[in-house]
Amino acid sequence: MLDQYATTLTFIALGAIFAYSFYAVLIAGQLSLGQAGFASLAAFSGAYLAPDRADVGDVPALLIAVAIGMSVGALAAVMLGLPTMHLRGVFLAIATLGFAEAVRVVLLNQEWTGGAQGLGVSRILTVGMAWFALALVAYWFWRMGRSRYGRALEAIREDELAARAMGIDVGRHRLAAFVTAGAVAGLYGVLYAYYVRLIAPDDFDFVAAVEGLVTAVVGGSTMFLGPLLGSGFQTIVPEVQRAVGVEAGWIRPFLASLLLLVVILFLPGGLASLLPRRTRMPSDAGDAADDRTGRSHPAAGDTVVALAGLGKEYGGVHAVRGVDLEIRAGEVVGLIGPNGAGKTTLVNMISGLVPPSSGTATVLGAEIGRTPVHRIAAAGVSRTFQHSKLFNRLSALENVLVGAHLVSRPTFLRRLLWLPSARRDEQAALRQAARCLERVGLADLAASRAEALSYGDQRRLEIARALASDPSLLILDEPAAGMNHVEAGRLSELITSLARDGLTILFIEHNVGMVLQTCTRVVVLNFGEVIASGAPGEIAADPAVIEAYLGSAEDDADGGSLAAGTAADPTAGSPDGVPPPAAVNVDPAAAGTLETPDTTRRNAP
Amino acid sequence: MQQLLNGIFIGSIYALFAIGFTLVFGILDRLNLAHPAVFAASAFVGIELVERGGLSLWAALPLVFVVGAVLGLLIERLAFRPLKGRADAHFAGLISSIALAGMLIALLQWRYGPDTRRFPPGSFPDTRFEVFGAQVTLVQVVILAVSLALMVGLTYMVTRTRLGRGMRAVAENPTAARVLGVNVDRVTAVTFAISSALGAVAGVLFAINVNTAQLGMGAAIELKGLAVIIVGGMGSLPGALIGGLLLGLAEVFAVQYIGSSWVDVIAFGLLFVILLLRPQGLLGARKVREV
Repeated sequence: MLDQYATTLTFIALGAIFAYSFYAVLIAGQLSLGQAGFASLAAFSGAYLAPDRADVGDVPALLIAVAIGMSVGALAAVMLGLPTMHLRGVFLAIATLGFAEAVRVVLLNQEWTGGAQGLGVSRILTVGMAWFALALVAYWFWRMGRSRYGRALEAIREDELAARAMGIDVGRHRLAAFVTAGAVAGLYGVLYAYYVRLIAPDDFDFVAAVEGLVTAVVGGSTMFLGPLLGSGFQTIVPEVQRAVGVEAGWIRPFLASLLLLVVILFLPGGLASLLPRRTRMPSDAGDAADDRTGRSHPAAGDTVVALAGLGKEYGGVHAVRGVDLEIRAGEVVGLIGPNGAGKTTLVNMISGLVPPSSGTATVLGAEIGRTPVHRIAAAGVSRTFQHSKLFNRLSALENVLVGAHLVSRPTFLRRLLWLPSARRDEQAALRQAARCLERVGLADLAASRAEALSYGDQRRLEIARALASDPSLLILDEPAAGMNHVEAGRLSELITSLARDGLTILFIEHNVGMVLQTCTRVVVLNFGEVIASGAPGEIAADPAVIEAYLGSAEDDADGGSLAAGTAADPTAGSPDGVPPPAAVNVDPAAAGTLETPDTTRRNAP
Repeated sequence: MQQLLNGIFIGSIYALFAIGFTLVFGILDRLNLAHPAVFAASAFVGIELVERGGLSLWAALPLVFVVGAVLGLLIERLAFRPLKGRADAHFAGLISSIALAGMLIALLQWRYGPDTRRFPPGSFPDTRFEVFGAQVTLVQVVILAVSLALMVGLTYMVTRTRLGRGMRAVAENPTAARVLGVNVDRVTAVTFAISSALGAVAGVLFAINVNTAQLGMGAAIELKGLAVIIVGGMGSLPGALIGGLLLGLAEVFAVQYIGSSWVDVIAFGLLFVILLLRPQGLLGARKVREV
């Protein structure tokens, strides 16, 4: 019974292993077609270099060939990956495809590969061995899924920039994923060689690469069972057609393609999306007292941020110019200013996303401009973004878990071995994440996908994610944008309570009432320059600030109007915008915003 | 000299094919892998029109253009529009267009069988010219003229007409374009139609050039098309023209001086070097990423 299907079953296993080599990079959002090249190099070098089965026996010969093949595949991936890892999307796909084609042509022109005739290899692989190898590969990716490393790869796929800001070394992770793909493709190449008896460079051409990609995507590239399901589907469909007597040459490829189209159009996550996805919640077991993150924070009053003459120029436009600013531990600094004043640019420089064009800046001991973003995050800076940059297809809890990347320990290798310490570490990270969710009031939405949350909840989830790394400096870029005044009031309370815990906070906000109420110090930026800096009371009365906001100082003798928070549009610069005196002395907490928050892009793709 | 001219003739076909590719990518940010299937299908359709319809070679060209446009509309409707708004639209679009290409090739196999097909004897005029001591047939001249005319027409359309302005607006920002009253769905459909029409004409010209049509001819040119659009710069129309001519010339000279078996290494070596040194391509613009 099994014998009858042995060939089919072996090809399902082989196809699945090849598909896993695509899955290995798709999970990190990389589209590579170079796996055919890795498999080809591995198959030929493994088959050529491994000792003969007559000398060492069947299984040792295969194992040696596998070891050679996987090393060759991984090595080729390193050599291709180092220069190409900065490429994205289709560019990476085409570069790797070019590599695979070059490998094919080179091997075709070599003597030792037999050229177009191919290289004869003895058949050692049995259906059992193939499925054993597949089980090992699937196990690897299964254990990777819920490790810190696996989460980091998913975060990179969803939003590379946000992943960087969470302290993930994107370059290294992408290369690691690529090398894994190389090794798995190498494994496939050797196993294939030891099954089909005769390998030719053309077995690993563009069509083969596309087939591997299709298998991985059809199965589902976000779940570890996907490649297996995909391979089963791709291999069985033609078999079923043959069994039911569909013989005409064209009907079979037509139906197979049609099915592929149906699957891709109607099952967005591939076949694996039919399987239920378990959502993880922390179990209560375990000692919460052990959950200290091991971060040390600067003592109150120490310098956290020191900017000297910091400037940023975009093609002649000075977005930020000559900013000198010092922030000390324990301060809550509000950064306000009209649209286009350079607030976000300044914050992007402080968090390392944008290199300054002049001046120097030190943040928690890291020098800005030379230090990569993830190192600055590691120094203790955590931030949210003006336009939410969540990991959309991950759950709220997983988003926060990624935020805890820096304060959790790597668990993948230990998870492979089922070490209990890995489970303890994962549980500790889960508890840390759950606490952060609770703090922003999202505990009951932990299992929801980030993209399904309401706008206000997404903003709060970003704050929870930023808190998860137990930062020393928290940067919030317009956290209250799009919130109503009740929500904004609650946010204000949250910020105050975080400051009470000793966190240093820098936040940009247009809700001036909220800023004046929450901050210990307010910095006002206009046209890229600091025009005022001081306690909230001083700022509210500062004529320069009022001029920046209302356009003209002469018509507005009443400094209190700023504290009241008016509906005047600061960019209009019209004196008519001066509020009636009745608005003076309104409770700042109930104040509206000076500007309409920019929420137009929140639904943009 | 003969080699130079041959390189230009074949290069202009590559360019025409690649321009269709790069048009969809540049404007819609999607890679349409059904494009090579259209290329192959149109070659068969062209031969059928000449053989059964009794049309002359030149009368068949506009008809093939129309057939290509219809195929383009179908591709957009079946493989790309249903994916709109999906997070994985990039990957999914690749796969769905591969699937559609598979169906198209299967249909060709049903209609025409697996064998190579040729134009009926006597379809080609015998006129020949001598240019700087090299032999040039009228057919080759027409290939070059048709390719260039279509490319010039396309460039004019994209840069000067209302439709072209809509395309460029969609390329810049689809949401903003929609808000400003551009019918994004229509622009998308028309872009696919034009792209496929150009691919179709390239297919029939290729078939005329070598007087064969095979089911696998699309797959063979697919990689070259990808190389051309990278070398020229993703989304750049003049880049695709230059890239196509470069590749055509490189191939012809590689065959002569290095040997035919190494031709593809030249193409992909060139591709690789460009990607490393100038990832935006020869004429592509580097996109600045916003935080």
